[in-house]
Amino acid sequence: MRYARPAPRTLRRSAISRLDRSPLHRLVTVGVWAVVLFSAAALAFIVLSAFKSSAAIVAAPWAPPDGLHLENWRTAWVDGNLGRGFGNSALLVATVALATVAIAAPASYALARRSGWAVNATVVYFVLGLGIPMQIIVLPLYALMLRLGLISTLSGLFVMYVVVNLPFTVFLLTGFFGSLPSELEDAAALDGLSPNRTFWSIMLPLARGGLTTAMLLTGVNVWNETFLALMFIQTGDRYTLPLSILNYYQQQQYSGSDYGALFAAAAISVLPMVGLYAWCGRRLTIGITSGALK
Amino acid sequence: MATSAFARKRRQLTIPYVIGALVLYTALFIAPSAYSVYASLTDWNGIDSPRWVGLRNYVTLWSDPVFQRSILNTATITLGVGVTLFVLSFVVILVIRELRFARFVRGALFLPHLVSTIVLAIFWGALFRYDGLVNGLLDVLGVGPVTWMGPDSAFALVLLGLVWIHLGYYVTILLAGVDAIPAHFYEAAFLDGAGPWQRFRHVTLPLAWDVVGVAAILWTISSVKIFEFILAFSGGQGALPHVNQWNTALFVYGKTLGGTAAAFTFGYAAAGAVVTLAFVAVLVIVVRRLMRRESIQF
Repeated sequence: MRYARPAPRTLRRSAISRLDRSPLHRLVTVGVWAVVLFSAAALAFIVLSAFKSSAAIVAAPWAPPDGLHLENWRTAWVDGNLGRGFGNSALLVATVALATVAIAAPASYALARRSGWAVNATVVYFVLGLGIPMQIIVLPLYALMLRLGLISTLSGLFVMYVVVNLPFTVFLLTGFFGSLPSELEDAAALDGLSPNRTFWSIMLPLARGGLTTAMLLTGVNVWNETFLALMFIQTGDRYTLPLSILNYYQQQQYSGSDYGALFAAAAISVLPMVGLYAWCGRRLTIGITSGALK
Repeated sequence: MATSAFARKRRQLTIPYVIGALVLYTALFIAPSAYSVYASLTDWNGIDSPRWVGLRNYVTLWSDPVFQRSILNTATITLGVGVTLFVLSFVVILVIRELRFARFVRGALFLPHLVSTIVLAIFWGALFRYDGLVNGLLDVLGVGPVTWMGPDSAFALVLLGLVWIHLGYYVTILLAGVDAIPAHFYEAAFLDGAGPWQRFRHVTLPLAWDVVGVAAILWTISSVKIFEFILAFSGGQGALPHVNQWNTALFVYGKTLGGTAAAFTFGYAAAGAVVTLAFVAVLVIVVRRLMRRESIQF
């Protein structure tokens, strides 16, 4: 189950299925393409609308841009406060991804390299957190943050994000460290390296791929997270990007819409993720599926 | 000898290595969960100290039409959207390997999982507004505009949107499981005269059963956290969506900080959250029971 070597197999398997192409099979193919093109069209619509005037978006939604209307981006960035949101989110993504992995990596290594009931129980204890819905932890934490004066602060949100990303990161990295060969540690020991040094200068660099994946997945989570931000951030200058967009969207429903600027705001949030997928989509999907295949 | 001394020293490292994550996670994840269970038995506004009321919150929940609707909607998402997702995922997997432009296809399917749900909700709104894209298309076809986003019909659109957003993610996970099945099973089945459906029923499904189980649990857990798509799609300026569209996540937000006049009934909201947790726990146990039996090692 663990060794996925798909390339030669899929070729042969598709050779088999080519022999029985039924009308139903064609219909399914058309259906899948419809969904694929719908998603691509959604992205194209958002990005193209960001360059159009609001009048053109309403009058001819599918027509190509009527000019470049770069003022949409300026309006969104400045008047819509997207610039502030972008900065806050970027700061949170970087710090939370680093901190989560820095805390999870030693724990995962220790848990992966040992067995016994206490270690197994600890792993299960962390995995338990994956099953606890956010809404159950958020109420006491709100009261706690209120008491500590951390409501509407980025440091409060930072702590929250590290904590909610810990269970998955520990789970992912425990699996990853478990898959690294232990011969290297034995060799390091023979060379007189202490276990602590072995971890920092041998195992951690070896695990770079897994650590990067964990940071990317955490970063994507933080970039798009809305529920906790909505509960813990109440002032505009601490809004994260999703909050800024939500707020801008709702303002416009009330005060008449500047659709061009709204889609510019949407594009500001979406395009970094599109770029990320284009750049390291494989790494992201491997990280996501490796958890499920363990 | 060196290794055993090394092993002993390594054992001594376990606690220092684990302690940071363990303390943080216990203090800010597990302890709040436990506190919520306690808070659900109290009258609490989130600011003053809670006052014990026993099971009163649960009794009120039981006959609260807003909560009944919320839990019904949550179940509709978990079960209805869930079954649709898994059926569609397998349908997609049936053909996805043979499609041309494979990278583009996978990317386009997976993309909604990576981008902000708020943005997807804005796009969904642009489609189904009264003066939106869908009615524009209908107008060209000579059909009158339809009110898509009424308090009752909007939830159906939410469900449809959720299928769209999550499809690529579950296709990716299930595909990884299906790809791990050795091809000779398919060849043998083919030579025995099994058609596509029989190969799916007797080879793919049983051999990918473990992954289906894990994916089903993942969906169950994440489906009750769905929140911002509903909020952004159906909410207004500072206002919450109509209660007909609440799920339990919106219920918790609506009964504490959400809306133009926040309710601050933290104890009551905590009871709603505990019921949600129980819902998840029961479903996860049921899924594990259902899935355990037929798993096949290969």
